[in-house]
Amino acid sequence: MLNRFRRFAAVPMLTLLLGAMLVCPPNRAAAQQKNMSFDIFSGLVFGFRDISYTRQYDLYISLTPGFKWHFGDHWQVAGKMYVDVLDQFNDPYYSQYYNRRGTIFHFGMLDLSKEFKLGELYCKASAGFFSESRYGVDLKLFLPVAKWFAFEAQGGCTGLFSTAGGWGLSPMQRFAGTIGGDIYLSRTNTQLRGVIGSYVYRDWGAEVEAIRHFRHSSVSLYANWNNKEAFDGGFRVVVMLPPYHRKQRMVNFRPASNFYLPYTIMAHEWTNRMYNTDPEENMRDGWFSRDLLDWGSHTMEPDFIITPKE
Amino acid sequence: MRKILLSIPIILLSLIPLAVRGQQYTGISGLIHVPSAEMRHEGDACFGIHYLNKNMLPDVGFLYNNEKYNTYDYYLSITPYKWIELSYICTKRMDVVDGEPVYKRKDRNFSMKIRPLQEGKYWPAVAIGCNDVGSSVASIITSNNQNVQLYFQNYFLATTKHFNIGGNELGVTLAYRYYTRDYNAKWNGIVGGVTFRPSFFPQARAIAEWTGNEFQVGVDALLFRHLFIQASLKDFKYPNVGLCFQMNLLGHRYKY
Repeated sequence: MLNRFRRFAAVPMLTLLLGAMLVCPPNRAAAQQKNMSFDIFSGLVFGFRDISYTRQYDLYISLTPGFKWHFGDHWQVAGKMYVDVLDQFNDPYYSQYYNRRGTIFHFGMLDLSKEFKLGELYCKASAGFFSESRYGVDLKLFLPVAKWFAFEAQGGCTGLFSTAGGWGLSPMQRFAGTIGGDIYLSRTNTQLRGVIGSYVYRDWGAEVEAIRHFRHSSVSLYANWNNKEAFDGGFRVVVMLPPYHRKQRMVNFRPASNFYLPYTIMAHEWTNRMYNTDPEENMRDGWFSRDLLDWGSHTMEPDFIITPKE
Repeated sequence: MRKILLSIPIILLSLIPLAVRGQQYTGISGLIHVPSAEMRHEGDACFGIHYLNKNMLPDVGFLYNNEKYNTYDYYLSITPYKWIELSYICTKRMDVVDGEPVYKRKDRNFSMKIRPLQEGKYWPAVAIGCNDVGSSVASIITSNNQNVQLYFQNYFLATTKHFNIGGNELGVTLAYRYYTRDYNAKWNGIVGGVTFRPSFFPQARAIAEWTGNEFQVGVDALLFRHLFIQASLKDFKYPNVGLCFQMNLLGHRYKY
């Protein structure tokens, strides 16, 4: 399959990405006024599976060092990579899609994003290399209708990129998108979410999810359906990681903002999936920055109290 | 006044010393093998492991050389609201690898308990629930019953009332439980038990229960606000032990 890829197509893509950054140069004085910061962080992937007849279980542990460069006005460049600590999965299909080449270092994502507001419509545009080994462009929309109800939509045109046999990219021809609504019950910090859409791996379907937000964590139950594997369901857990009181400097070293634990009953790994455009994207924070969008879980007490370092 | 009159029969019924079963091994609050209408605090989350004597297991599905074996389970549970508890449980099963029996397979299931009526001054709490509900959901959505087992599936209706006796707490539970599999029928019917929480150490409680087939006694305690332990003897001779880490995700600090 790799020989169908347009090798070295990553070069113009990166050029486009860097060009976009140069169009919006991070002026230092302006950046300080706009809270410019450079965050370096790392999280952890902990994979556990129990499907082998010859082993009790398999483990996959990987560090996920990444960075976020905020340069004002909700512009952001973010990236992430994987550093394998233990890989007992040894799944060639999985490895290929996740850009493993027999080394412990794997490319994760690198993209440019901009959040902005058009009237009452919140928008986030992204371009670059996303998760799920996709590259391309993506647009997310969020329209709060009331304090308890909002519409959401995401759409993107992407191709597959792989480093399994050197850099290679498939044509950027696949459209994936979802549209749906959110209900937020502020009294119990409960969010109900429903979306339908066409997903990354050429399946289409629908998903409903009930999320209970706690003080520094969120737990959800979900059920979904798609045209390839029919029904599935499970639960998801997001835990925001301490320290919860932080000093804001120009350059910050910190742990990843959250730990994410998904569980699926039927183990349908390749259905109802969308890529992420942010290395720390999670169901608790949603797509938008807290200082831009005041809706849903953003109306709760913030997880992180950040004070500027004098 | 009408509520009081209506609740008198329920209170009297709950005082009859009948069978009891605890549910701690499923991650759902209860006695030992008997469900109760008690609920954890809103926001409580637990991760635990429980050693299960073979006498706690169904007569089918946990056999090696036609004999039942001891095993263990582990679970994740959460109380998202004060009226509902949810739990995900894995029970390890034996299989033969290279001629040797190992705990290689597992039975996955979900449990759920809902409390429509909270305990009041004159009436008991009432809860309904189901263990092993996930398997039945899976069988529906996959239309494939061959690989779906319901080893632990049961439905229950439970009532629990607590009484203050000189600062000590006496809890009385009465429940009706129905197992869907014939090989668990011995645990069907009316079950129940009593708990005693002493005033000098309210983090601990003593439990005696009737499971429908045998008596079971045990103790449990919440230590250091987060470590929950439970030890019991089924039929006064078969031990079961569980250990669980629990915390409140809303940030509340409860002693028990």
